[in-house]
Amino acid sequence: MTSTTVNNRSTGKVMIRLEDLTKRFPGQKHNAVDNLTLDIHEGEIVVLVGPSGCGKTTTMKMINRIIEPTSGRIILDGEDVTTTDPDALRRRIGYVIQQVGLFPHLTIGENIATVPKLLGWDSKRVTARVDELLEMVNLAPESYRNRYPKQLSGGQKQRVGVARALGADPDVMLMDEPFGAIDPITRDRLQNEFLRLQSEVRKTIVFVTHDIDEAIKMGDRIAILQDASKIAQYDTPEQILTAPANDFVSDFIGNGASLKRLNLSHVSDIELTQWPTVQLGTDHDQALEMLRRSDRSALLVLDESGRPRRWVGADDLHRGAGRPLDEIGLPAGAMVEPRATLSDALNELITARYSVTIVVDAKGIYQGVVDIEQINEAIRGMRSSAVARARAGLAEGAEAGSTGGQP
Amino acid sequence: MSDTGAGVRTGIVAAAEPPHHRRTLAGYLLMPALLALVCLALYLYVSSQELDSIEARSLNAASLTKATWEHVQLTAVSTLLTLIIAIPLGVLLTRPFTRRIRPYLLTVLTIGQAVPTIAVLVLLAVAFLFLGFQAAVVGLVLYAIIPVLLNTMVGLEQVDESVLEAGRGMGISKFGVLTRLELPLSVPIILAGVRTALVINVGTATLTTYINAGGLGDIIVAGLSTNRVLVQIVGAALTAVLALLIDYLAGIAEDFLRPKGL
Repeated sequence: MTSTTVNNRSTGKVMIRLEDLTKRFPGQKHNAVDNLTLDIHEGEIVVLVGPSGCGKTTTMKMINRIIEPTSGRIILDGEDVTTTDPDALRRRIGYVIQQVGLFPHLTIGENIATVPKLLGWDSKRVTARVDELLEMVNLAPESYRNRYPKQLSGGQKQRVGVARALGADPDVMLMDEPFGAIDPITRDRLQNEFLRLQSEVRKTIVFVTHDIDEAIKMGDRIAILQDASKIAQYDTPEQILTAPANDFVSDFIGNGASLKRLNLSHVSDIELTQWPTVQLGTDHDQALEMLRRSDRSALLVLDESGRPRRWVGADDLHRGAGRPLDEIGLPAGAMVEPRATLSDALNELITARYSVTIVVDAKGIYQGVVDIEQINEAIRGMRSSAVARARAGLAEGAEAGSTGGQP
Repeated sequence: MSDTGAGVRTGIVAAAEPPHHRRTLAGYLLMPALLALVCLALYLYVSSQELDSIEARSLNAASLTKATWEHVQLTAVSTLLTLIIAIPLGVLLTRPFTRRIRPYLLTVLTIGQAVPTIAVLVLLAVAFLFLGFQAAVVGLVLYAIIPVLLNTMVGLEQVDESVLEAGRGMGISKFGVLTRLELPLSVPIILAGVRTALVINVGTATLTTYINAGGLGDIIVAGLSTNRVLVQIVGAALTAVLALLIDYLAGIAEDFLRPKGL
């Protein structure tokens, strides 16, 4: 099997290299992981995703040798760690599991301090690090440090799990369905928080999930695995959604690939349309005149600091003569921030009064609007660039005699 | 009930603290007070009776203290030895490399427990001419190993697998996982086994009088063989009081040794 070519976005060096990695469990006829070769670049989140029993968890657990490989090599940061001391290896790698596995008889602070203490940090440094990590995962150190795990909710436990894995600031983290056992709303929040955290810490992360949506959301790169951890496709989420390498991949993505693609672009990536706006306190005749000159059916009323307040149509202006602008028309809803995804924007747009989503910055100040045309445009753009890339890959693959990872 | 007591005393802070599993002071004092009362009643009753010479030989301060002290020694030494044998054995029998021999060993030990202690003691005495304190300890230990061993194994096996995986995954050594995670997390269940062993040993130690090992059994048997009901009652009551006292002390030890956060 050829190692999969990855040429886009891979600026960093290879942090983890798996070479011909194979695992056969005692007493079984088939390999659980068969001859897997995979490069994972520094600072990226690589998601291993596939159906149950495809060997994704086994693959991940071979990286820190919780499961010892039958054959093959694991190279971490240029060093062959296949046969080194496993405990020392694991102290260099953060490990988060679905059930969290906090130590129930130790406080949150002591849990997080586990690896730093194993590495022999002095107590002052450990204490400072614990507080730093608790703040990183949005738990106030003074109120959580001395609590016990059973006093925490599921979401809070998983935050502590992440903080504990970051304990000694490892370069690499392994995460086995970390948000799998958490309710959907909390999961979404934890995912967002984790992505924000990752944008600060830039760890190399191997993330296992069976949920393709989570893979698309979390992954810089996704490895879709078939039976025995055969790579069906190893590529960016954009490429996987727009140019699935084979039927297995398209089946696995399932329906709604175009909608999923909208999760990959952000409002900040597209150019916003401007909508006619008026300030609060503008008189009605002036507003009517503005409305007549624009080709829209309503004006967006902004308050003194530029925050959207109301939608006001011509009817409202006629009927509500003499009343201030913030008492007529409809309240301005359907707002998103620039870092929201196009999917969020589309979602708001569907329910919005004038079929546009208002974009505001973090302070709530009006930036522009997104309409359905722009979203359409974005989809077309993604598709054509993906097709172009796939064609380029095809040409390259034909020369090499094989396309990446395809069985 | 004890929770509200603690809550009232410590005020608002208690809400933020782990819930209290310890009893209130009154809860702790109830049992000793009751036992003292029983002893006092017994003392008053015995002093009000006219004792004949046979009764007086057993029912005096010197011989009662001696018998009680011997009883405590028998119980303490046999329980200590039981722990030294059973807990490490329990640890060994829960390691993966002993998986094959585990069922056989457990069967043998359980059969051992099915044999009455008195039979074991007599066997030791008759077959090996092994008498006295040491023989008694051997008999008691053989009998008490099983509850401690089984509780140790159950305690270790009920520890959440994900906790151990997280520990291993963070680079805690196998030995570290045992001493820092598995054993502390099974303390409540192991201690329950120890408590059972103590109570079993206090009770069965009365039988060791038959192989000349002393203890409160001396008093009871003296009463039985001379047909003195008062002597029998005193011996039995003291044994019961001792058993309850030891169980009570073991309960306190459980409360304080159980790791916080569980």
